[in-house]
Amino acid sequence: MHRGVIHALAAVGLAVAGIAHASGTIEALARTCNNCHGVNGVSSGDAMPSIGGLPESYLKTVMMEWKEGKRYSATMARLIKGYTEEEISGLAAYFSKLPWTPVAQKTDPKLVERGKQATQACVSCHGPTGKAMMPTAPNMNGQIAKYLELEMRKYQDDSVPMPAMMRMMAKQVKPEDIEAIAHFYASQK
Amino acid sequence: MNPFDRRSFIKALAAAPAASVLSVPAQAQAKPKARVVVIGGGFGGSTAAKYVKMLDPAIEVTMIEPNKIYTSCPLSNEVISGHRSIESLQTGYDKIAARGVNVMHDLVEAVDPVKKTVKTKGGKTLSYDALVMSPGIDFKYDSVEGYDEKVAEVIPHAYKAGPQTVLLKKQLEAMPDGGVFIISVPPRPIRCPPGPYERAAQVAWYCKTHGKPKAKVLILDANDSHSKQALFRQAWRELYGYGKGQMIEWVPAAEDGKVVRVDAKTRTAYTSFGEHKADVLNLIPLHHAGHIAIRTGLANPRGWCEVVPMTMESAVHKDIYPVGDACIAGELPVYDMPKSAHMANTQAKVAAGAIVAKVNGLPPPTPWYVNTCYSLAGENYGFSVVHIYRVENNKFVYITAAGGVSPADDAAKGTKVPRIQYALEAQYMQGWWRNIMADAFA
Repeated sequence: MHRGVIHALAAVGLAVAGIAHASGTIEALARTCNNCHGVNGVSSGDAMPSIGGLPESYLKTVMMEWKEGKRYSATMARLIKGYTEEEISGLAAYFSKLPWTPVAQKTDPKLVERGKQATQACVSCHGPTGKAMMPTAPNMNGQIAKYLELEMRKYQDDSVPMPAMMRMMAKQVKPEDIEAIAHFYASQK
Repeated sequence: MNPFDRRSFIKALAAAPAASVLSVPAQAQAKPKARVVVIGGGFGGSTAAKYVKMLDPAIEVTMIEPNKIYTSCPLSNEVISGHRSIESLQTGYDKIAARGVNVMHDLVEAVDPVKKTVKTKGGKTLSYDALVMSPGIDFKYDSVEGYDEKVAEVIPHAYKAGPQTVLLKKQLEAMPDGGVFIISVPPRPIRCPPGPYERAAQVAWYCKTHGKPKAKVLILDANDSHSKQALFRQAWRELYGYGKGQMIEWVPAAEDGKVVRVDAKTRTAYTSFGEHKADVLNLIPLHHAGHIAIRTGLANPRGWCEVVPMTMESAVHKDIYPVGDACIAGELPVYDMPKSAHMANTQAKVAAGAIVAKVNGLPPPTPWYVNTCYSLAGENYGFSVVHIYRVENNKFVYITAAGGVSPADDAAKGTKVPRIQYALEAQYMQGWWRNIMADAFA
């Protein structure tokens, strides 16, 4: 057999194996997340967060807390109830393996500087730039600013259930600093 | 010459450990592995074209769409209320083309499902291994006496975003304070089920903030219930006033709400027993799957395309995959898949996954159907409905444990929803739109 033919067949083989992979149950399920969270979990913006490359344990915890009613989400809490714990685990594993991609956004330098000062108390868990340091904390460097702002507002609003520890910390933030904090983390690479 | 039996060869390779390599070198691309033609470049068609190409670059994908610029219907009610320009909803196809999809600006005139060919108005004939049929809807203008395409230039439907949307907005601007804005809703199924009711809210929003506090928005409905009913009622009441003598009023079919005739000259809508004079008349006619789907014989007697739940393949013709507003799926009347951009987007992904698997001799992937549809009723006042469908015993099953509409206040139970709910969803709606535009067109 000609070497060229062998090469071509090998290449086709790899491609087909890739397609078999892309045809997997979780890969197909994950594709339905793209239209809000972006291809590879990198958001195009406004209020929707990027999810590709977040820690697996964080992703699974958040989704399970929504499912069990322990954590408030305006939309996702209803959606997630349609999936089994196994599927949720599969999604958490899938998205955690993608690279975390900070999204370039327009940020206000003054707000960024103010946000940097306002996040000194956050460093022990979230690091100096919001890059995840522990499996239970999300990456926030280059996360969508509007999303970060809205999450902080949820933590500060007692009318909806949110995890206690972060709520305690978030309540120490002055409401007028929230936007600055969001701009700071959004601006980090 | 290939000495191998192709099918078992692919199966053997598919069983090998998964590789992340998806690209095929040039020599394998000389002759396309298969040809996929996509009719229609809306949310359904463009998503399908992109995902087939993304999942298997060796497949040749041609998308045929008459317009060079696409205008998103989602969020287009915001043009009417003055919160968006029509241009902000528009996109071209350059990014889809850059992904390797052949974008052809032409109109398909005929499909031969036996010879598996497509003929265009521009005189081209294309053959396909798989065809995605995503033409959206066309109107049955004569469903209301006195209405036709020409009259629509005076009495707009504004139910395909573009010049019609702008026309309706201009008419609203010119409407005097105390004027009557009528929205006539046709019998279900309709595209964007909450659309007319969101429009009522947005028109009221405009009137309230643009010196028309005495304006009236009258919804004449050919149905007795509607999407997100409790939420719209709550928002209308809270923001604008709802009911007899209030800014927004809704007349269901049971109370003679169905419009049967219009007089374009006097802008009057006639129901079986009544007549309603309008300053602005927005008449949404009955609709059905796009003409080309019907001409291809894909539609049922009511004008919609039925599909095989596992793959989105047509229930009538093999190798044709109807997606988006043109199809009907699920348990009627309550749990049918809504005709929304999000539904079209997930249907297109199911079709793309099934087509790529079939071309490569693999079984179709598990189909996942999801819908999220936001409505904006006013400043910081958004809400949504979520649907999840699974396929069980080759049937669409709506998952009742999940989804449903955003919570509304319940006077009987004495529960009030924290308003952060609606403020958040008003924001998520914008994020949803930005991302679905990128998912479908970039």
